[in-house]
Amino acid sequence: MDKELEHSFVALLEEHQNIVHKVCRLYTNHREAHNDLFQEITIQLWKAYPKFRGDAKFSTWMYRVGLNTAITLYRKSKRTVNTYELETFQFKIKAEEYDDTEEQQLKLLYQAVHQLNDIEKALVFLYLEEKDYREISETLGISEVNARVKMNRIKNKLRTILNP
Amino acid sequence: MDELELLKKHWKQEDTQYPHVSANAIYKMILQRSSSIVKWIFIISLLEFALWTAVTVFLKDHKSAQHFDRLDSDYLIIPLTVIGYVILIYFFYLFYKNFRRISVTDSAKVLMENILRTRRTVKNYVVFNLGFMVLSTVVVLYIEFDQDTALIRKTQAAAANGELFMFYAKTILIVAGVLAVFAGILLFFYWLIYGLLLRKLNRNYRELKKLEM
Repeated sequence: MDKELEHSFVALLEEHQNIVHKVCRLYTNHREAHNDLFQEITIQLWKAYPKFRGDAKFSTWMYRVGLNTAITLYRKSKRTVNTYELETFQFKIKAEEYDDTEEQQLKLLYQAVHQLNDIEKALVFLYLEEKDYREISETLGISEVNARVKMNRIKNKLRTILNP
Repeated sequence: MDELELLKKHWKQEDTQYPHVSANAIYKMILQRSSSIVKWIFIISLLEFALWTAVTVFLKDHKSAQHFDRLDSDYLIIPLTVIGYVILIYFFYLFYKNFRRISVTDSAKVLMENILRTRRTVKNYVVFNLGFMVLSTVVVLYIEFDQDTALIRKTQAAAANGELFMFYAKTILIVAGVLAVFAGILLFFYWLIYGLLLRKLNRNYRELKKLEM
């Protein structure tokens, strides 16, 4: 492989790695699974990188590859335990920024999001990343109207999960 | 406040809290092998092509096939063999073309469709083979009963004893049994592929399709 290509890829990924972390944050619920998915997304990004032309933003390109890997390509490795271990896998939340109720609320919110299906998580992810409906629809391959409708349904679903 | 707004607020602040993966670690990661379903689908599809080619070659070299060669059957067997190989090449070409089309940078829906299409090519090849195998079996049985002197004698003996029906029934049962074993192997493959590998993909594809309705 071209060394220069490798260097530029590693530098870009190191800079934008939070996008990958965030995909893993929604699709996995414990540290080992997080790392495993992170690695698989990195491999897929690297494999696709020679075709990356730079006409799109690197970050936009990463959203696609990251979500596609999480939704379609990734197979859970054996060590993944399929239970909710959210409690043990909370990223530390800075105490001074949140009061107790807000922290508790956040915890419940993440638990609720983890109950959504893969496609719904993708929509939530892009929404949290403040992508507009055009980009959401292009990333998933659905129409803008359907993306909007689905997003509203997800909001209602989350509300129902949180306030049964 | 909208539930998601609270999450969004936190989402942005979380940026500094993820463990930082160093450039060095990234270099190591890209040397690792992928464990994506596309890789497994490719391997399993190759296995299926190999299995059917092996079955064809094995049947050709088998003793009974050599015995069969002595019968006057070229007019049927040669065309069947040629058609078999041409179709193998055709399916393999389709499979390869579809496989190359799979790109992780497509939209989620297109990516899923391309993977499913690649699988469908292999499935069609297997269905074709199964049909071809049944057809070949019928042709071979026809030639055997028509030309094989030993078999003709047996048939006549059975007919003389009034056991002709039993004789045919037995032959058909044995042949059907062998075909059933092959079908069993196939079912195993499909349980493996659709049950384990494609479960998630199929579920998510259905979910996306549901949005379109």
